[in-house]
Amino acid sequence: MNTWRAMDRVLLLCLFSLAVLGTITLYAALHQGDINLWQRQNIFWVVGLAVFFGLCFIPLRVTGLASWPFYLVTLLALALVPLLGEVQMGARRWLDLGLFNLQPSELMKWALMLILAHWFASREPTSVPHLAVAAVLTVIPAALIVIQPDLGTALVLLLAATAMFIASGIPWRWLFFAALGALISLPVLWHNMHGYQKKRVLSFLDPQSDPLGAGYHVIQSSIAIGSGGIFGKGFLHGTQSRLHFLPEQHTDFIFSVLAEEGGLLAALLLLFLYGVLISRILIIAGRAHTRFGSLICTGIASIFILYITVNIGMVTGLMPVVGVPLPFVSYGGSALVTMLAALGLVMRTAIESKGKIPWQRPGSPLA
Amino acid sequence: MHGQLRARQRFEGRMLVFHVGSLLLLTLLFLRLVDLQWLRHEDLALQADQNRINIVPVLPTRGEITDIQGRALAINQIKYRVQMIPERVTDMTGTLAILAKQLYWNAHKITIIRKRIARSRSDRPVHLDDQLTWQQAAPLAARLHHFPGVDVLAGTHRYYPYGELTSHLIGYLSLATPEDVRNGFLPTELVGRTGVERAFESLLHGKPGYQQEEVDARGRRVAVLKRSAPETGRALRLSLDVDVQRAAARALGKRTGAVAVMDVHTGEIITLLSQPGFDPNRFITGLETEQWQQWLDDPRKPLLNRAIQAAYPPASTFKLLTGLAGLRAASPLARGYTDCPGYLELADRRLRCWNRKGHQHINLHRALVESCDVYFYALGDQVGMQRLSAEAALWGLGSPTGIGLTPEAKGIIPGQQPRLMAGQRRQNWFRGETMITAIGQGAVTVTPLQLARLAAAIANGGLLLRPKLTAGQAPEVIRQIEVDPGHLKKIRQAMRDVIAEPKGTAHAQLAWLPWKVAGKTGTAQVIAMAQDDEKPAAPAYDRHKDHAWFMGYAPFDDPRVAFAIFVEHGGHGGHAAAPVAAAIIRTLAAKHARRAEVVSR
Repeated sequence: MNTWRAMDRVLLLCLFSLAVLGTITLYAALHQGDINLWQRQNIFWVVGLAVFFGLCFIPLRVTGLASWPFYLVTLLALALVPLLGEVQMGARRWLDLGLFNLQPSELMKWALMLILAHWFASREPTSVPHLAVAAVLTVIPAALIVIQPDLGTALVLLLAATAMFIASGIPWRWLFFAALGALISLPVLWHNMHGYQKKRVLSFLDPQSDPLGAGYHVIQSSIAIGSGGIFGKGFLHGTQSRLHFLPEQHTDFIFSVLAEEGGLLAALLLLFLYGVLISRILIIAGRAHTRFGSLICTGIASIFILYITVNIGMVTGLMPVVGVPLPFVSYGGSALVTMLAALGLVMRTAIESKGKIPWQRPGSPLA
Repeated sequence: MHGQLRARQRFEGRMLVFHVGSLLLLTLLFLRLVDLQWLRHEDLALQADQNRINIVPVLPTRGEITDIQGRALAINQIKYRVQMIPERVTDMTGTLAILAKQLYWNAHKITIIRKRIARSRSDRPVHLDDQLTWQQAAPLAARLHHFPGVDVLAGTHRYYPYGELTSHLIGYLSLATPEDVRNGFLPTELVGRTGVERAFESLLHGKPGYQQEEVDARGRRVAVLKRSAPETGRALRLSLDVDVQRAAARALGKRTGAVAVMDVHTGEIITLLSQPGFDPNRFITGLETEQWQQWLDDPRKPLLNRAIQAAYPPASTFKLLTGLAGLRAASPLARGYTDCPGYLELADRRLRCWNRKGHQHINLHRALVESCDVYFYALGDQVGMQRLSAEAALWGLGSPTGIGLTPEAKGIIPGQQPRLMAGQRRQNWFRGETMITAIGQGAVTVTPLQLARLAAAIANGGLLLRPKLTAGQAPEVIRQIEVDPGHLKKIRQAMRDVIAEPKGTAHAQLAWLPWKVAGKTGTAQVIAMAQDDEKPAAPAYDRHKDHAWFMGYAPFDDPRVAFAIFVEHGGHGGHAAAPVAAAIIRTLAAKHARRAEVVSR
């Protein structure tokens, strides 16, 4: 079968729309700053798309086999961070690989998602030993990330893992007990938090309490978004971004540039594209002819929706400030390439499932 | 097979959860956006504008002040100033430290600036330093991007070319006080504090304009959005003649004193001098408190405008009024003679004449010319305190002249305020006190400007004028004093003979001038040297020396100017004060002659 022709058109169209919107938005965020970063990001797009299309040709079976070594190498890198990592903002998160800085915790989300998908693809989630192994696979990297310390990423990792557990079919009541346990451990966690982390949480609860400190980012981005109104201030005419009132406007806070200059309409367009992307991935998950394919697609969709919710939620003041990129829009090469790689896996699932019957579908001839 | 089917069913259920869940999350985000971008749009748009738009006042150029001939007395020079918007400063301590180093501030100045920042609103510019030349300001201006919130601005700076010479008259400016700010001035504006700068503040000041600027997150100006130009203050031409002022100052030399010269017909002030003065150019920064304190502590009180703010005993110059009162009251002595043996006995006391040998047989004319005390003791006694003080009040003593400079002293006429007499609280009056008042001693006090106006009124036939500072304005007559022209003529003739007669008290100093001068000397005792002392002891200190007065007008036949000269602890009026008048008259006469020459050509 022709791989090219088997590609999912909706997914492809959605990806290209996001690429265009993201690139334009990034230009708006950087045109008065370091325009070189925009050019770099375009190169990352090329690289990322190459990876995307490359992965379309790699059978999922191979990906499944590769998930163990991928997970273990990432875990090793994560373990090395406290020893060799670069310190940024009071936390060691980055490994200097010469060519670029690697953030193993970022990669770990995908590795964990893959390994859990691989693990549950052929195992029953109702078996305690199986679940115990999956829990260990999750807790080890989560703990390593917490001690970096990078609470936000750890939380996102745990949420992504939870999504995998849900997708695998773990009974709800077990999830309920796990959530209860997490809730009870919250005070302990708070006690062990770093000062800046506590400040972030507090400034989320009441941004006006420290308007020039930790609350500043959220206040300024809310002003930017709100002042954009329904139709926006026009491309390159956002005052908050142009005059540098917005912090981190090309990375984590880029959504406020889009919302300020493009208004509610542009923001809505982005949300719509994200909605289409995620539901398309979930549809592909539903149509996948292997359980592994279903699980990785669900995991990828979960990570995307997590990123989108946490990022936009943070920028609009709904959630605390957690360093999470806005998919396909934020500046950042490794994040973009990994996300495109993930979409490559989704596309491969769609290609492999094309014309086949989903796994164990009730009423299907194989059932 | 069955288990796998159940797994599939469970998976389908979970997929539904994912679909619904992500849809819910996206809806949540959408609702939040509607909230921010639709419902709260106006509020947040306003906040965005407040972020970026800075309304900056553009200070007006102050009106320039010139003298009657157009010579600049107060002008504006381009200088650079440094200001700061505290809320935009990220590191206040560091910024101040660097600014202090770059602008050579001392510890004292830094303290003042810190105080100023502390009491100012943090979103308004605070004045840090000014009077900087480009050489001083340029290094800072070039590195402004390191100091968010700090700005170097070119602006006009008030300069007084004649400095000390016109210091009291022109006055000085200082930064708006918190009270001024409440009255609508901007904290960076300079406001007239004394002299003409204060009196004509509303005229000179002009109106600030405004500039809407777009600023970035670090407070730096990116663009000017809107601008309304400031309104320049009106220029002011004073009636002052710097030449005459300078001549008076030179004649006074290092002595403490005051000179007032005015036009007898219009009341225009030609000279208003008080010495010692101060350098008003050191006031503008408002930061030179050391210098300020030094001036405040100086026993010679350089900040006091003696021409209008201080009142002194008029001494013998008051005899003119005693004489006029005598004539008005038709007192027998005013038309007759008395004998001056050098003293007058009153009960157990002896009131002395300045001339211990006495003036013998003496009438009003000679008593004025030779300034006989005994004659006026007697005349005052005859006229009585009531009439004496009424006469003084009629000729404008005891009330401010209304020149417009504040504060203005009004002097004391004892009869008006018996309680203030001699600093004692009592109601009844002693005969002796009337007699002392009749020769201008005791409690009576006047300002030099009041005496100059008195001289003008005598010269112009009894028109009491309001002194005017600006040129070319209609004269303002406070009142036409009802006085018998014959009486006035007698007084004038006596004043003329003070100079013309060899025995006149100012004969030696003023007899040979191009203009005929009429005047009256005065020598005011400073410490209560008992009038019955056999021999006055030589003053032990300069500050115990007598005050010298000379007042009068010129030319005698066609009066043009009236003047009053006061020399604090100068000694005898004829010796100390009259030469100053000579210098003034010489200057005026020479200028007048030159002008006449030009006109005739």
